[in-house]
Amino acid sequence: MNFLTLAAKNLLRRRGRTMLTVMGVAIAISVLFSLLALNSGYEKELNKEVNSLGAHILAVPKGCPYEAASLVIHGGVIPKYLSEADLHNISKIDGIDLATPMLMHQFIRQDAKTGKDVPHIVYGIKIDEMRALKPWWKVQGRYFTDKETNVMLVGRGLADKENLTVGMMLPAGPFKNFTIIGILDRIGDQDDDFHFVPLAEVQRIFDKQGMITTVAIKVKDINRISEISDELEKIPDIQVVTMTQIMGTIMNLAGSARSLLLTVIAIALIISAFGIINTLLMSVNERTREFGMMKAIGASGLDIGRMVLAETVFITVIGGVVGTTAAIVGSTMIEGFVKGMLPYSPRGSLISLSPELVLFALVFSVVLGLICGIYPAFKSSRLTPMEAIRGGIE
Amino acid sequence: MSVLEAKDLTKIYRRGREEIYALNHVDFSVDPGEFVSIIGPSGSGKTALLNILGCLDTPTSGSLLLNGTETSGKKESDLVKLRRDNIGFVFQQFYLMPTLTARENIELPLLFSKKDTNKGRIDEVLEMVGLADRGDHLPGQLSGGEMQRVAIGRALINDPKIILADEPTGNLDSATSKMIFELFTKLNRKGLTLIIVTHNLDLARQTQKMYTLRDGQIVSCEDLACVQGRDDLNIQQEVV
Repeated sequence: MNFLTLAAKNLLRRRGRTMLTVMGVAIAISVLFSLLALNSGYEKELNKEVNSLGAHILAVPKGCPYEAASLVIHGGVIPKYLSEADLHNISKIDGIDLATPMLMHQFIRQDAKTGKDVPHIVYGIKIDEMRALKPWWKVQGRYFTDKETNVMLVGRGLADKENLTVGMMLPAGPFKNFTIIGILDRIGDQDDDFHFVPLAEVQRIFDKQGMITTVAIKVKDINRISEISDELEKIPDIQVVTMTQIMGTIMNLAGSARSLLLTVIAIALIISAFGIINTLLMSVNERTREFGMMKAIGASGLDIGRMVLAETVFITVIGGVVGTTAAIVGSTMIEGFVKGMLPYSPRGSLISLSPELVLFALVFSVVLGLICGIYPAFKSSRLTPMEAIRGGIE
Repeated sequence: MSVLEAKDLTKIYRRGREEIYALNHVDFSVDPGEFVSIIGPSGSGKTALLNILGCLDTPTSGSLLLNGTETSGKKESDLVKLRRDNIGFVFQQFYLMPTLTARENIELPLLFSKKDTNKGRIDEVLEMVGLADRGDHLPGQLSGGEMQRVAIGRALINDPKIILADEPTGNLDSATSKMIFELFTKLNRKGLTLIIVTHNLDLARQTQKMYTLRDGQIVSCEDLACVQGRDDLNIQQEVV
């Protein structure tokens, strides 16, 4: 027998109470673990999403540039347009490697399986420029040329969801009778869910001749981004957003939501800590005579304190293991909940689990145990044998 | 040399302005191998004396020599060592850990004295207290007498010089009390020194020396091997 087995057996005496305390710790650790997993996952996914655009700078119509930028990344309708003259002016600026126009539009199409109207996003693009911007694109089938009509590419995610195959024609919607000539390999970002059509075709279908939503710009030297942005700003009607700005703005927006979550977690942890301290103090108070007996048979104050501390650490470590496991198992559910709370959430998985994070959660639970156990352990260790035998603790 | 020698022990408890003398200038000594009982009515100071003799409490004044070592003025950490090496305690309420088996309860003091768990020694003690076949039972599965035997085993495991027992038969029926006393007598025959506080005059008479306490003072000390005058006995019967 050693102090750990003694502490474990002591905890088993009050199974119900021990279990409730463990649950309290587990919930707190689970929420903490999820938030930390989410924090690193969010940044990683956002980075991936912004980088997947392949561009360094976006030129968007004047208005709220960040909203426009996030719509470009995520898909949506911007009610303002740039003209081909703007594109021409942009292309003239020195230091620009590539400036490709895009017309993004939303349309409704009936789902073949469910019969429900589902919103879809289509991008009108110049295929060669787009492929230069996104060299990682691979296609099953073939790419279209800019002059082709009634052809489209779709993302793998969309194809799988709607059972679309190469050679199929869309049965309904504004792109009725468009043939799917290629399906993009799965990339793991928003492109997986989009339709891509030659720019001229999208302009024709939605009657937006000469109009574009955005110009994605790749510069020759990334050190000159800010200088080029200044040049671009001089063109009337357009506003410029760099990818660094988008990242920064979104992270700021998400930051306030995360601060709120962090506060909730801090409160949960504090409540949980007081719960543990309270449980331990109750247990210490109930066992003063027992401590008296222990002192009579040779236990020192340090021995008693060590035993109480071991009991606390047991509770928090078990709570930590249960909480971390629950957080890993329930990460999808937690992610769904958190995604709803964030102002902008990337499409991929926001929860990034790592062994370091698991280790951190477990170490944190030990530290929590040590902090919570100090006072009850100190109090019990300071009892004189007579106080203990008389049960004289308050 | 006495194994325990108390001189002029006084213990005062203060309740507001009132001073209560639990012990009032008590002299007390026990020789090695003696079997001593302390009797007296409730509130006479028996338990206060036992607690001071066992270094669980400190006297307000007076001195106590334990195995030749002066205990007064010592720090609690030193007293822990003195208790651990010299004294075994037996309580009326047994104070067994309900989640530990009889064997583990007996082993408990070894954990605190940082001595290696010697299975042979635990078996020996279980045998000594008559529980060789009950070692793996939890206290809830044992009778009152058996629980007190476990408590006695726990007091014996560190090989103490003295056993102090506070009303060890107080929670037991008369037949079980007799058996426990027989166990004490057996241990005493093996050379162990025992001091027992009890209300049971019949059992106290089976010890070698019987001290009677009243109002914090020793009013008689009877050497039962050689009974003194009738007066002492009358006092004892009166107070008990």
